[in-house]
Amino acid sequence: MKKEQAALVPFQGFGRLRRPEVRIDPSSAGAKRQLVDRIVGKLLFSVALFAIIAVFFIIVFLLRDGYQIVLETGPWHFLTGQDWNPAGQNPIFGVLPLIVGTLLVMALAMVIAVPLSIGTAVYIAEIAGPGTKAVVKPAVELLAGIPSVVYGFFGLILLTDWIRVAFDQPSGSSWLAGSILLAIMAIPTITSVAEDAIGSVPREFREGSLALGANHWQTIKNVIVPGALSGISAAIILGMGRAIGETMAVLMVTGNAAVIPDPILNVFSPVRTLTGTLGIEMGEVAFGSQHYHALFGVAVVLLIITLAVNSTARLIINRIQRTSRPTPPGWAGAASVPFVRVARAVRDFVRPQTRILHPITAQRFAFSLIALSVISVIAVLGVIIAEIVVNGAGAITWEFLTGSPSDLGRAGGIFPAIVGTLYLVGGALAVAFPLGIATAVYLIEYTADTPLTRGIRAAVDLLNGTPSIVFGLFGFAFLVLFLNFGVSMIAGQITLALMILPTIIRTTEESLRSIPHSLREGSYALGATKWQTIWRVVLPPALPGILTGAILSIGRAAGETAPIMFTAVVFSSRYLPSSLSEPVMALPYHLFILTTSVPGASAQKYGTALVLLLMVLSIYLIAILVRRRCHRAKVM
Amino acid sequence: MGESAILETKCLNLWYGQKHALIDISVRIPKNTVTALIGPSGCGKSTLLRCCNRMNDLIDSSRVTGEILFNGNDIHDPRADVYTIREKIGMVFQKPNPFPKSIYDNVAYGPRIHGVSEKKVLDRIVEDSLRGAALWDEVKDRLYEPALALSGGQQQRLCIARCLAVEPEVILMDEPCSALDPIATAKIEDLIIQIAREHTVVIVTHNMQQAARASEYTGFMYLGKLIEFDKTTRIFEDPAEELTENYITGRFG
Amino acid sequence: MTGKSLSGATTVAVAGIFVVLLMAAGCVGGQSSDSSTPQHITVTGSTTVLPIAEKTKEAFEERDASADIMVSGGGSSVGIKAVGEGTADIGMTSRDLKSEEATGYPGLVRHHIADDAILLIVNPENTVDSLTLDEVRGIYNGTYTTWDQVGGPEEQIVVVGRDSASGTREFFSEYVLKKEDFVKTQEEFNSNGGIQQKVSRTPGAIGYVGLGYTGGVKALWLDVGGTAVEPTLENITSKKYPISRPLFMLTNGEPDGLARQYLDFIMSEEGQEIVASVDYIPVQE
Repeated sequence: MKKEQAALVPFQGFGRLRRPEVRIDPSSAGAKRQLVDRIVGKLLFSVALFAIIAVFFIIVFLLRDGYQIVLETGPWHFLTGQDWNPAGQNPIFGVLPLIVGTLLVMALAMVIAVPLSIGTAVYIAEIAGPGTKAVVKPAVELLAGIPSVVYGFFGLILLTDWIRVAFDQPSGSSWLAGSILLAIMAIPTITSVAEDAIGSVPREFREGSLALGANHWQTIKNVIVPGALSGISAAIILGMGRAIGETMAVLMVTGNAAVIPDPILNVFSPVRTLTGTLGIEMGEVAFGSQHYHALFGVAVVLLIITLAVNSTARLIINRIQRTSRPTPPGWAGAASVPFVRVARAVRDFVRPQTRILHPITAQRFAFSLIALSVISVIAVLGVIIAEIVVNGAGAITWEFLTGSPSDLGRAGGIFPAIVGTLYLVGGALAVAFPLGIATAVYLIEYTADTPLTRGIRAAVDLLNGTPSIVFGLFGFAFLVLFLNFGVSMIAGQITLALMILPTIIRTTEESLRSIPHSLREGSYALGATKWQTIWRVVLPPALPGILTGAILSIGRAAGETAPIMFTAVVFSSRYLPSSLSEPVMALPYHLFILTTSVPGASAQKYGTALVLLLMVLSIYLIAILVRRRCHRAKVM
Repeated sequence: MGESAILETKCLNLWYGQKHALIDISVRIPKNTVTALIGPSGCGKSTLLRCCNRMNDLIDSSRVTGEILFNGNDIHDPRADVYTIREKIGMVFQKPNPFPKSIYDNVAYGPRIHGVSEKKVLDRIVEDSLRGAALWDEVKDRLYEPALALSGGQQQRLCIARCLAVEPEVILMDEPCSALDPIATAKIEDLIIQIAREHTVVIVTHNMQQAARASEYTGFMYLGKLIEFDKTTRIFEDPAEELTENYITGRFG
Repeated sequence: MTGKSLSGATTVAVAGIFVVLLMAAGCVGGQSSDSSTPQHITVTGSTTVLPIAEKTKEAFEERDASADIMVSGGGSSVGIKAVGEGTADIGMTSRDLKSEEATGYPGLVRHHIADDAILLIVNPENTVDSLTLDEVRGIYNGTYTTWDQVGGPEEQIVVVGRDSASGTREFFSEYVLKKEDFVKTQEEFNSNGGIQQKVSRTPGAIGYVGLGYTGGVKALWLDVGGTAVEPTLENITSKKYPISRPLFMLTNGEPDGLARQYLDFIMSEEGQEIVASVDYIPVQE
């Protein structure tokens, strides 16, 4: 045959590229390429270890300053002591009221936030038309962008007053006020994650239910929400994490009395949280004193509680996922198991004798409740923004934006604070962005499931769950004091970088995961090295997702007060900082001080709040636009 | 089977974790021919294919014993450069997987990562490769448009062009037509025969007619073993094994 | 797919704009601090002393354009630590050094720059105008829980105070409470302004603040030996009004250079006028 003869002719190649025929030779270009690849791998690996190191240092430095108090008072007395009286004749350090306060505030916040959030999520995912959705969804996300000190400001001025008058209480600073505020802050987190979960319930489930004659509400109630249960639980847990670690807003409205409410469900009692204690007492406490150590003890307790909440939550999610989705082969079969169950539930529900309400009435009733929750969420956003815009717009002048403050911020402008915030955020990003991306690339592209990578992931989770005030404390103990940076811009930047690192790692990981494996195979099959594949094929399409994550973390960093208040900020400075070792002004801290310490600066207060709000919201807006762009591109 | 073998496996065994996926495979793939691998799903044909350019390295749990010789050299030799091996032994996948880049950049990707940066040279490689994959006339006016805008069949030919651009000696094809319609399939089949004049092609297929039409040699695999390997005409007309005959005639299982 | 590459470009552009903004901000900053060759000192510590430092700094910098005094808060302890460790030139404190601080930083020199009166404030709607020190103690240690027990309306008392790390609270605790424990339901704020805001909005509240924080609230007269004394500047200076405490600035060793000039300015007549203008009690006539 012709072919056989042809086969005898040695292969000539096209003759365009001249490369050595020998392929197995250690001195070839291939070896060099492999070396580069190995070096990059090692480099990424060492960067990825950073997360573990950071966690290690945080724990070491908290324990270093916190263990003494436990030795002095005994762990049992420290944890179960009913009195927190560090300044008394005989100082007493019992954190039980603080722990109880933290848990109560969080629990009630969840009671308020969960139904509202799920209602809103259901509305956005299932009920709203595209036009309404385009308004409601970003509105809810913007709620997440409002800095916590703005919430605190709003709570101090409006919320506590409202509670005092509406419930005829002597004082409005209370557990209830803290919980309402935290609920508002947790709603956007819970809503957007829950909405994602609801949106990803397979279409077939929905159609299956509707085809059985169930109406829209019955389908939502019996098929969609149960189907999205694990995602919804995850959403609630994330919201809880946010609530438990919040400092600045809470300490402005709860009254900070270290008492356990009496009776225990008296929502009008003032309470004090662990974070609030750190926030109000840390600045004034004498270094090395018993009280100082006690505050670090409080931080350790806070860290342990957050950890416990997060890991319990993770266990619950895993369990739900396991029971609702057994993973043997033939996934269609597996998926049909819950579906059959659900279909049965639908049938039971539709069956006339079990009806309490006519289905149409039930649907109308349920939908109006959902509408109510959406309206209240939007109304809250409206009230906060209106309050700030109406009162703050007048303060915004050219001089206010470009001048330096004078008379304790009652006059002059906030330019150094605006620039200081940009510096802090820019520096934090410059540190966290490369570290975060490298870590994520290492975790996704380089490693199998080894104990070490599990360790790195656990460390990232831990960082993610760490309250921002704990970062602040760590920055203070490690960067400011131990490394002797002093209160300086660099200390604040590093502290903020640690805080946003997990967000960047997470979003980058998600982006990388969404790049189909077939693209990587295509590249490898052409002889590309791992690094060439990552750099040229994987990272470019993942970039928009990575940037969205980075922008969101910028927004978070710009609005945070707790991590910088002990590490980087000054109340006033005539000049902008000229080196990294100088402290800076920052908008959130400036607002915090104006709100709590400077009487008669009302216009400046609102003006600062407005500028901060605009800055953070425009960052969020950019993120939302970027995401929408990418989404559209993906659909194409 | 007297002609020179470009690829040869000797007692090749492969495990995925506990699963013994390839059992004692010994086969010689003759140079500049089309060899088809057939067999029921899960019989190991794709695995065998992916062994030949060490794509299985990417699966952590895989373990290999035995030898795969490429031009007489063991590709698992510790001194072997896996990237050069993949450059010399290209692969086309079941589903077209163009990169989210322009048509031009897709084809130029391979030469670029192997160090070609001169625009003129790249232009020629892109044109030659696209001509080689019978796609040039369809895309020459829109080289800088996104590759994902092409139809499925065009995308698969683009992937073949991308593969040709690095001048492999062997091209491994893993069910390259399974995601395509009959017209696109026919075009790819023609292309395979054409490519085999200068390259060795190994193709995994479920399509009996395709194996019969396009290949000179056929191997039948079953449960991780190579049951029979011979000239395609022989396999289809007078197989030595009853198992092979049952499979080909559709009286299987 | 054009959309995709385009969006990539947009995001890069956005990131780019941000970087440029940062750099622009950096340039502006660089320029303004280069316009003169400033002498730096940093002043940090007690938020109570902060207004004095801030206002005198403004006046001082107006006279000497090359001076750059950076004032920051943080609390008395921060001030003591910072000046003791040398990270700040001047520390501010509203309390005396604790024994561990005095032994830890033996070189610290105190400059008594002003006095601070502590005023008891109530909501303007409250009919109570004056209290004795014993009554105040009774309110803060929890003996009295409603206003009618001290001659006021039948309303629950909302006790408001400073956080337990505050120097103001420490002084109040020593002087008024004789170191008895505060009632546990006391609401705590970490600033005078916070207390003022709280009291001005809560009819039943009582709090203690510095002299400057009387907007929107009513300052109580103190009943000393049968006569009610109004907390006026005159009464406080003459010690007729009994609750006042010294405020200090600290330097590590005797000050020199800009720190010396600045401290001298505070102690000058003009400086002390500024002290009075921000509602503190001058220490020199």
